[in-house]
Amino acid sequence: MQITQPLAETAERRRENLFVRIVRRLADSRELTLFVLVVVLALAMSIVYPNNFPTASNMRAVLLNLAPVGMLVCGMMLLMIGGTFDLSVGSTLAFSGVWAGVVAGWWGWSAEIAVLIGILVGALCGLVNGLIVTRIGINALIATLGTLTIYRSLTYVTAGTGVTPISDAFAEYGRAADPLFRIQSPFWAMLVLVLVGGWLVARTRFFRQFYFIGGNPRAAQLSGIRVDRLILIGFVIMGALAGLAGVLGAARLNSAVVNAGVGIELKVITATVLGGASLKGGEGTILGGILGVLFIALIENAMIINAIGVFWQGLVVGLVLLFAVSLDRFKTSGRA
Amino acid sequence: MAPRLKINGLSKFFPGVRALDDVSMSVEAGEIRALLGENGAGKSTLGKIVAGVYSRDQGTVLVDGAEIGTLDEKAAGDLGIGIVHQEGSLVPQLSVAENIFAGRQPTQWLGQVNVRAMREQAKALIAQLGVAIDPALKVSVLSPAQAQIVEIAKALSRDLRVLILDEPTAALTLTETGKLFDVVRRLAGNGVSVIYVSHRLAEIFSLCHSVTVLKDGRLAGTRQVAETSTDELIRLMVGRDVHFSRSATGRKIGEIVLEAQDLDAPPLVRSASIIVRAGEIVCLAGLIGSGRSEFCEAIFGARRRHGGQIRIGGTAIDPKGPWDGKHAGIGMVPEDRKAAGLFLGMDIVNNVAATVLSRVSSGANFSNRKAEALARNFVDELRIATPSVRQIVGNLSGGNQQKVLLAKWLAMEPRLLIVDEPTRGVDVGARSEIYRLLRALADKGVALLVVSSDLPEVLALADRIVVMAEGRTVGELPGDGASEEQVLRLATRYTASVAEVRKQPDMAEA
Repeated sequence: MQITQPLAETAERRRENLFVRIVRRLADSRELTLFVLVVVLALAMSIVYPNNFPTASNMRAVLLNLAPVGMLVCGMMLLMIGGTFDLSVGSTLAFSGVWAGVVAGWWGWSAEIAVLIGILVGALCGLVNGLIVTRIGINALIATLGTLTIYRSLTYVTAGTGVTPISDAFAEYGRAADPLFRIQSPFWAMLVLVLVGGWLVARTRFFRQFYFIGGNPRAAQLSGIRVDRLILIGFVIMGALAGLAGVLGAARLNSAVVNAGVGIELKVITATVLGGASLKGGEGTILGGILGVLFIALIENAMIINAIGVFWQGLVVGLVLLFAVSLDRFKTSGRA
Repeated sequence: MAPRLKINGLSKFFPGVRALDDVSMSVEAGEIRALLGENGAGKSTLGKIVAGVYSRDQGTVLVDGAEIGTLDEKAAGDLGIGIVHQEGSLVPQLSVAENIFAGRQPTQWLGQVNVRAMREQAKALIAQLGVAIDPALKVSVLSPAQAQIVEIAKALSRDLRVLILDEPTAALTLTETGKLFDVVRRLAGNGVSVIYVSHRLAEIFSLCHSVTVLKDGRLAGTRQVAETSTDELIRLMVGRDVHFSRSATGRKIGEIVLEAQDLDAPPLVRSASIIVRAGEIVCLAGLIGSGRSEFCEAIFGARRRHGGQIRIGGTAIDPKGPWDGKHAGIGMVPEDRKAAGLFLGMDIVNNVAATVLSRVSSGANFSNRKAEALARNFVDELRIATPSVRQIVGNLSGGNQQKVLLAKWLAMEPRLLIVDEPTRGVDVGARSEIYRLLRALADKGVALLVVSSDLPEVLALADRIVVMAEGRTVGELPGDGASEEQVLRLATRYTASVAEVRKQPDMAEA
């Protein structure tokens, strides 16, 4: 009773053992947590499976496979920072890919125009989502749940069973690889997006407004931030990114598949939340999001290599997600 | 006979804070005890411990002489201790009856809720409080005062021995407050002990028998209301004498900054006009629901306007959203600082920067350095008590939050600053500081439009008082020499005449 508060607190701090301190440190930065997990997992896999895991071909496959989710995470992170999200990204991705396929394959237009149209179709889908959410005022969950089925259905209506093959010039957009690492273009596109997007969201005042919107939309509105306009822009960016992912995916296979991206929205949201986004909005970084994607990709790869089987994959990813989010309870700077 | 509630040596720690330190008090059956103190003095914490919302770290609690071991919300309910929270605990989508019996609805066969019995019992409970509210109504359609009554009925639905009211009148009008007091007195007359947590001294003098004052988590003293004075209670709360006197500054009042004419923004604003000059503090007074906040929102662009003109510095503006108001040089500090003003989860730097993102940027880049410098300036200038500018705003006390909110709008250097309820939920010490700040702003030539329901505040601050009633500006008084009675007469007389007109719609039409 006689001890003054600061003293009592230091004594308490000292009693905390090393483990607790590490947990606190990790809890304070989701990026750091994920980075440590990714490194530990990669090292462990390299030691246990030196012939299968750290090979050039395996790395190439892992990085190429995570590209579409990685691109989408950039947009999803932005939306979730602003306190909203988009469930229709998988359908947008397929719809855009199919339109690029139709333009290049059936109509025989140039590959450049096909790529452009694919991205535009995606942006248009995003615009529609954004208008429904901001103008009509339908909750994003319901609005994009609706467009998820609408866009998928429009994809079937447009191309039936898909467009195969599209055209060699178009395929080149998804297959071109760099001379050094020989990784195909979707990965490089994703890398550029992550770097540019990461800088934009972390540093520029325009994108910084999303943190305010997610933190308290009414206060943001009354601070003179154009909440609806920004959310609309966020949805358009999300749609354009889904369009790009769809176009590059179709190009890589030289085939626009109508079932492309089924279920990808949940993968993307999982990675985004794992990367530090909150459903309430106001927090998260693109770096965290991409580390989330990388971590999930490594887990999947590990499962395939050690032949535990694909069936266990979801269990592990789910447990890691719950673990990472529960770490928040140990945050030192969090609100009481 | 043992007292109804006895607390001995109660202490409570939160991380880094000793919220309550060795507090003892005892309350008799049928006694109305006020719990008074500045924000952060621990009065709400004390109430919540007695109601079992928080656990205690040290000390004993005795109810009717029996010592209580673990005291959680269920145990408190079983003991007959009820609490009406500041935030309210009702589910707006459900009916009054359903809310009163939440989780304990009377049932019939197969566990079905017996709706009829539930409604009848709810009706009886509400009737005990001397009011009539249809128990079938949804809570969302009730007025804040009716919702309070339902909260009390909910506490009453179990054999109530101690009722804790945490700032119950914050959202109530004067008449509603009067009705609530009748209910509280009736309960006390039936032997219920009431712990009444409030900032408002006037209420304590009109309602309570005794008052316990807390300061920084410690007991500062307990007095019988009949034997104490406002001055003594304020001294106990802040440890010094505080006066809200008018300061005779001889401020220079300049040109017209805001001229709003016949603003029409239904349903709450119909034909309101106002003029505010540079260096002038104009207070907008009126009863709750008279359309003051809505009038201000319409000026700022946060509310759709159907008619009327707004001029800022002689130039007509037509704000379509808050960004337009801001662009014209208007700042608006909203009434509800938590819901509409601050980013509670963000730090001081980001909150202050929210209105001036372009100023704290270099090109497209947000500059943390510039934003921190700006925030540091305001922390010094406004004397915001915080360990660092990176402190999360949700962790600050009410008074300091209010200062951060002011800083957010001062950062944009407004020509006209609208402040809606500048000191709601702010303790006495911080209050006089906020007055000092507002006066200093006016001295610098900013035009200030202050909405306040607190008449002493209006009289202390205003150079001119504009009174609103029923969505109209109905009168004007000079700030110097005006009395509370004059303001109230203006605010209520108009209401009465409108009511008369409404009684005879045919004649009014003709």
